[in-house]
Amino acid sequence: MSEQPNSPPIGRVIGTDPATPLEFWVAVSEGCFLQLDDVLVLERKLPGRSQPVRIYGMVADLRARHEGARFDSDVFLIEDGVLPAQVTEAARVLATRFEPEVYVAPVPGEVVRKATGDARDQALFFDGMKRKIPVGLSRDGEIIHANLEFLDGTRGAHVNISGVSGVATKTSYAVFLLHSLFTSGQLGGGTHNTRALIFNVKGEDLLFLDRANRNLDGEQQGRYAALGLPAQPFDSVELWAPPRQGDPSAAPSTGSRADGVSSFFWTLEEFCTDELLPFLFADADDDRQQYTIVVHNVTAKLRREARPAGDGGVRVGGVTCRTFGQLIEAISDRVEGDEGDWAGRAIGGGTINAFVRRLHAARKDVRHLVRGDVPNPGKHRLDFQEQLAVVDIAKLSRRAQRFVVGVVLRKTFQRKEETGSREPLLFVVLDELNKYAPREGRSPIKEILLDIAERGRSLGVILIGAQQTASEVERRVIANSSLRVVGRLDSAEAGRPEYAFLPPAHRQRATISKPGTMILSQPELPVPLVLEFPFPAWATRPDEAVAGSGGPEDIGDPFEGLE
Amino acid sequence: MSVRRVEGLTIEGWSPEYGAPVEGDQDEMPAAQVDAGAEVPEDEWRPVDPGSDAWMPASVDFVDGVRRIEARIWITGEDGEARLGICASYAAGVVRCDRKAEIRAVKVGRGFFALAPVPDLATRAGTFAGCPVAEDDIQQLVNGLQERMGLLEVEVAGPAGSPDALIVLDGPLRGRQRIQGAVGYVKSHRVQYLPVGPRKVVAALAPGQRTPVFLIQTKWTRYSWYMRLSEADGHPWAGIVRCEAWSESGLEKVRRIADATGAALPRFASEPHKDDRAPQNLYPIAGLERELRRRLGDRGMVLRALQRAVWGFRP
Repeated sequence: MSEQPNSPPIGRVIGTDPATPLEFWVAVSEGCFLQLDDVLVLERKLPGRSQPVRIYGMVADLRARHEGARFDSDVFLIEDGVLPAQVTEAARVLATRFEPEVYVAPVPGEVVRKATGDARDQALFFDGMKRKIPVGLSRDGEIIHANLEFLDGTRGAHVNISGVSGVATKTSYAVFLLHSLFTSGQLGGGTHNTRALIFNVKGEDLLFLDRANRNLDGEQQGRYAALGLPAQPFDSVELWAPPRQGDPSAAPSTGSRADGVSSFFWTLEEFCTDELLPFLFADADDDRQQYTIVVHNVTAKLRREARPAGDGGVRVGGVTCRTFGQLIEAISDRVEGDEGDWAGRAIGGGTINAFVRRLHAARKDVRHLVRGDVPNPGKHRLDFQEQLAVVDIAKLSRRAQRFVVGVVLRKTFQRKEETGSREPLLFVVLDELNKYAPREGRSPIKEILLDIAERGRSLGVILIGAQQTASEVERRVIANSSLRVVGRLDSAEAGRPEYAFLPPAHRQRATISKPGTMILSQPELPVPLVLEFPFPAWATRPDEAVAGSGGPEDIGDPFEGLE
Repeated sequence: MSVRRVEGLTIEGWSPEYGAPVEGDQDEMPAAQVDAGAEVPEDEWRPVDPGSDAWMPASVDFVDGVRRIEARIWITGEDGEARLGICASYAAGVVRCDRKAEIRAVKVGRGFFALAPVPDLATRAGTFAGCPVAEDDIQQLVNGLQERMGLLEVEVAGPAGSPDALIVLDGPLRGRQRIQGAVGYVKSHRVQYLPVGPRKVVAALAPGQRTPVFLIQTKWTRYSWYMRLSEADGHPWAGIVRCEAWSESGLEKVRRIADATGAALPRFASEPHKDDRAPQNLYPIAGLERELRRRLGDRGMVLRALQRAVWGFRP
């Protein structure tokens, strides 16, 4: 701490703009240059103290101008050699740290140097991070770390990523974070048991995580090396896809990836005993909706009265149900007909109709996901064994997507609640948060996401959520995220208060960010960091996949051979 | 009249500019003798084009100075009489225009002008060196200041000059003849040097053209010529400047320099919306003056420094 910063002077604090402890301007010396995100350091001597205050900061903006020119057209005179003027360059610096913590303004004239090595780590608080993972490279190729304690629940948890679809590379960054978590060794002994669950919501991007990427060139491999991470695909991956519609054997519905994919569904028995019915209704928790009382009454009846009929089927009263269609017929009979009182007392006919109408509407969306017509259904139960589980919901309807995400998250969360311990950690990657936890309204799945956001930290369930527009996502979900990441933003979106953690210059930069560039804000740093992350080392398309490479090809069915 | 010792100093509360002659007032003196026929006979006067073989200087050096009276100071001698002095800052610089315009040399001086004996006055803004003058009326004090500024101009121009450069001094040459090959550049025409016939030639000049060289003799002798910088609306003398050169250079050399001014200077002429003395106040000179005034420092800061120094002054 006490040694002199030894890099050569690069400029001086200017006095023509006020220098404040948090923000000041530095004139760049002739023959030198500064770029955005450069990390700087300067010292200020204080009367009566032997130790100078060291002020660290980061370049947030740059300006160059002609001194001596008064009119815009003077530039032509200056370039023609008629008017004398001088070009000056100055950088706006946002202070990141004071050491010791005496918040004084830098004095105009003070010499400013680039912070390198230890000084840079101090400037960005990396020196105080006991456990840190690499989260990207700065513009000048230096590692940017994030404090793991704000990710694993020790002091904070959850990541939130915002950005325009297609160019913001939100999912790619989430997967890169998982790669860094799994391979940086910072999780220590817990690395092996740490799990991650990713929902694949679009295309087939995430179905090749276990295959090496043939387009990964030497330069990109070098960037992995610079980060201290192996340039390799994930080695412990399981892939789950919904069954093909209308296929009695419930073969997985996949596109280009056929091998190593298992299909998943829930049995009618689970549907009844685990109370999954509310997940079919987006607004089942909304008290303004009359029919929700019917949903809850029927859910309770199903749990109490449905009896297992083998292979996942159920018997309701005298009727044996093997398909979802049969089950909802049986339910309809009991809420509408004379046979039952499932709807509950004093429920109007209109309300019952609303429930039945919605129940029937759900039928074609989930009939392949909830069934009792497949022998040995245990091997289709989502029970994660590998380190990284990918659940493909891209081809499902919106209703079915919500059903799957809601049910999976609730089960996972319940299981963690039962164990009551934070370790091992479970990371959940979910894109399109605005669909599942919208700002307005209530739904069972939103309740679960809120539960994860608010209690997941202590239970070791870490949400890596992403959305196009943070302004459309429930505030509490975002407020509980320690790490906030922003990719390319739409300029109207960038102006919203959800991004107030970005200084104005960063907001502007977010609107021109290229794919692979993110802005990351973490609790300890007062200034968000702009970073770049390397091209995926794993394939994101079938034509990128190196055949037969990477992790176990034949993960297949973890229950194989068991009964 | 004279005293041997300074007993005390006081800063005059009135504005330092009060009663001071306006800058440039005494730049031009009424002509005594003018010989319009120095280059061509008076009745053969017509506009002179620089010609295609005219000397085109590789660079033009503009030399200028600025001055500012910082405070009027009353000096009390041992006889109890108060005499007026001024503290002033002055600066001189050169801007060289070749492919780019660059300020080459700037020097700043600070002086304390008063009847001898004058002490040096050390302040936080620099030392105001004692500069004795012969008379303590404001005109003579300002003349002393003007003279120091002229010396400083000679000083900065000397080392900066190069044989391929045309050296242009802002204002008449008087007092600055020592700069070799320098041209004095006079923007305003308060004195009528020419008889009626040649005056018509001045009005007929096209941009870049000059009149024949004529000789002016007052306390010292120099060659002079008029030239038109740019097409200007209004009266016939709009856009006209007068240049002068040291007569010791010899007529041939002066003609060569005169042709060069016609060829080289018009491109530096300023435009009315950028300079209220356009087009005569040339861009490089205006830029240099701004820079020089900046180098004088903030007026309020300098006055504060002087006040502190005066309060703390012990003879």
